[in-house]
Amino acid sequence: MEYRSQKIAYWYFIAALPLFVLQVLLGLYLGGSYAFTMPQGIVDVFSFATARSMHTNLLVLWMLLGFMGGAYYIVPEETKSEIYSPGLAYFQLVALLVTGVVALIGFFFGWTQGRPLLEIPRPLDLVVVVGALIFLFNIGMTMLKANRWTAIQGTLLGGLVFLALLYLFGIPFYKNEVIDWYYWWWVIHLWVEGAWELVTGAILAFILMKLTGVDRQVVEKWLYIEIGLFMFTGIAGTGHHYYWIGAPHYWLWIGGIFSALEPLPILLMVIDTMMHVKERKTKIENPLVWTYAIGCAIFHLIGAGVWGFAHTLPQINYYTHGSQVTVSHGHMAFFGAYALLNLTTFYFAMPRIKGIKVFDDRRGKIGFWTMNSAMLIMGLTFGVAGVLQAYIERVLGMGYMTAQSYMRLWMLITVVAGVFFLGGLLTTVTDLLTLRPAKQEA
Amino acid sequence: MTKKTAFWIFLLGTISSAALFLAATWDTHRQVATLSHVDKLSDQVVAGKRAFEKYNCNDCHTILGFGGYYAPDLTKVVQRIGADGVRYAVKSPEQAFADSWRKMPQLNVSDAEIEDMVAFFTWVGEINNNDWPPQDSKKRLSRGEQAMVATVGVSPGAAVFQTKGCMNCHSLHGTGGTFGPALDTIGRSLSAEQIERYVKDPKSVNPKAMMPPQKELSDRERAEVAKFLSTLK
Repeated sequence: MEYRSQKIAYWYFIAALPLFVLQVLLGLYLGGSYAFTMPQGIVDVFSFATARSMHTNLLVLWMLLGFMGGAYYIVPEETKSEIYSPGLAYFQLVALLVTGVVALIGFFFGWTQGRPLLEIPRPLDLVVVVGALIFLFNIGMTMLKANRWTAIQGTLLGGLVFLALLYLFGIPFYKNEVIDWYYWWWVIHLWVEGAWELVTGAILAFILMKLTGVDRQVVEKWLYIEIGLFMFTGIAGTGHHYYWIGAPHYWLWIGGIFSALEPLPILLMVIDTMMHVKERKTKIENPLVWTYAIGCAIFHLIGAGVWGFAHTLPQINYYTHGSQVTVSHGHMAFFGAYALLNLTTFYFAMPRIKGIKVFDDRRGKIGFWTMNSAMLIMGLTFGVAGVLQAYIERVLGMGYMTAQSYMRLWMLITVVAGVFFLGGLLTTVTDLLTLRPAKQEA
Repeated sequence: MTKKTAFWIFLLGTISSAALFLAATWDTHRQVATLSHVDKLSDQVVAGKRAFEKYNCNDCHTILGFGGYYAPDLTKVVQRIGADGVRYAVKSPEQAFADSWRKMPQLNVSDAEIEDMVAFFTWVGEINNNDWPPQDSKKRLSRGEQAMVATVGVSPGAAVFQTKGCMNCHSLHGTGGTFGPALDTIGRSLSAEQIERYVKDPKSVNPKAMMPPQKELSDRERAEVAKFLSTLK
């Protein structure tokens, strides 16, 4: 840690971790609801819908806290100055956490906007917007005052502003269901395949530069090409969500062609990560951080790139749309791209903030490999269930519950894998909260 | 390649994609009015959408394929189970799904809200959305039917039974839905002619029938499925 205000990041990370654990616990309830019969009495009180809204909103909340923490860590080093106002940063953290907790409790009592992933009620949306404005003000002022611009901080700021702007499209009530979904995807798709990729690109570039000691000019050149491709394929690629909503037919062409290209920038990211690692000018002090960075790049490619491509063409998507195939892709992509990126950031920044040069990574390694193998298995079992559903329900037309009965066993295996995932996550969280220096080798 | 060239690649890539996207967005707004029959988008439909959101239905059910995957898609629910089927499931889920191993919560939806939702689902079901979902598509399923008769060698009536969504509600040998009665021995109590009449208009036979009239079946399909069911003894 070179600047005092980088410490702010630590509290954002600490706040994010328990939310991640809670997200996974709710995920187990959701998986259990597929594998077992939840009695009417339980369903009436705590429905699948309520648990799902918590599961997905916790994901967004902890990941955004992670990104914000990441930004508070990176911006001082990039601008070579302290954060404009640490007080505001802490205030904003508390405001977001309180909003999140109020929203979760509200869901339980049926206070919801009732639109998947955007369930946070409209009054709370306004608090989120204010929180985001404070955050952008704080980061923006730090950069303006320092007036020392780099491609990494430009990309980071651009991504964060884009992210905040898109959130606004999710707030209004749309009378027409078609238009509703049209703009719903401006939030969801343009977040994860647009704004979040910008933030990810910037954070990963920063970490790779610091880890490998590769020249900034080289890292930033790659960054520009990657985010250029992300934007080119990602923006028009939104069309792959417009095939079956009642939008014009040409979206099948736009969506199909652009989204087929979407794996390219991710592939590029894997290649440049590998190249930087190979041409490193420093020695590897904490191998786990390198493992995370490479793991993130590879899992990002598998989960978002390969799994996304697998069902993005209209001819295939006609049968897989709205099935467990989407769930398989969703889990692998969010974990591969964004959960691993956040954990990479945590493992990179937290020891530095604590002043630990080389940390003991034995528990961390177990956590990494348990979570990654469990998620890979979950991706596959969700995928098998999804293919069964697409074939039995959509191709053969045998009815929803008939398909579900064949999928049940696979959902049970998913729950078992989920328990292993939780074990890996708890190991990781414990490790991050109690990082200690490695014992000196004799 | 210099960093400057890379920057221009970024700028061009972003601007060209955004320009195409925004132009298509503008045109989509123009066309959606026709594709979604905006003239039929009444206040009751909008009220139904609000009720649909109020009870968070969309986190278990998908609609137009988006939402939770825990329960059946609702895009064509009115065509599939009829307005009465929707009313029954929402009003008394504990009865409708008593035999099902997956339950629907009792959300105490008011009768007025249920009527609004029915209007909303009816409107959604008529959106011109490139013939999705396949399981409710007339075009696709008749292709599936032909394929089954040709490749699996079942009778045409069995193919109709399996592909026309009968098994969404009814079961055979324990496979299928629990919304309606199991039909394993239906041939013992009803003849082919009786079944045919029932399928065409259930209420004409039993005024309390929950089953919607199967208007989508052709005369040939109805006759075949009745012949098939009457053999189950």
